[in-house]
Amino acid sequence: MAERLANRIKEKRGELGLTQAELAERVGVTRKTVNTVENGVFVPSALLALKLAEALNVPVEELFRIER
Amino acid sequence: MAEQSDFEAAERLSARRTRMLPMLAILLITQQGAFFASSGGDRTVDHVKVSAWLVMSAVILLALLTGGGWIYPKRVRDLANDEGTQVNRLKALRTGFVASMVACLALYFLSFFEQIQVREAIHIVTTAGLAAALVSFAFMERRAARDG
Repeated sequence: MAERLANRIKEKRGELGLTQAELAERVGVTRKTVNTVENGVFVPSALLALKLAEALNVPVEELFRIER
Repeated sequence: MAEQSDFEAAERLSARRTRMLPMLAILLITQQGAFFASSGGDRTVDHVKVSAWLVMSAVILLALLTGGGWIYPKRVRDLANDEGTQVNRLKALRTGFVASMVACLALYFLSFFEQIQVREAIHIVTTAGLAAALVSFAFMERRAARDG
């Protein structure tokens, strides 16, 4: 069965009132990388996942989950 | 945290690169056409054409390997070549490698029926690989930049 990494970045970003560009700046990547992670096109490294979680003030396991 | 201008510069570099990639592919293929139009020529202009293609191919290969944007500060280049872009670049290089291999196999097959000059074969293999990598990179970068 296919597995994919689902995330709640858009939801958490919205709660903090951040744009993709603002989140990208906090994490130190470009907006398009945040966009591709958010849309599930790109699976981030553990380092980037942790940075995203830190920037959004949530534990990484709350931000990402495996969808089966 | 980096200066705001670094992020803006990185976004601009990234957008500019995405716009330039297909144009570079077209230019490379056009130069290839010019080479075959004057194939075998030994005039100065023919040498200039071949040299121009050689230099351009080397620059494109270097740009694909490093991410380009050499005139920008390192911090801006690092931002523009972030994790997502690096993955796209590696996938594009893989596509370019496959295209080169397909061109090699096709030329090998063709060589049974027609004599092919070594220089012509090198041109075709190199151009196929680089053009495929450029187009592939452009496609993935455009898709990444698109709002989802």
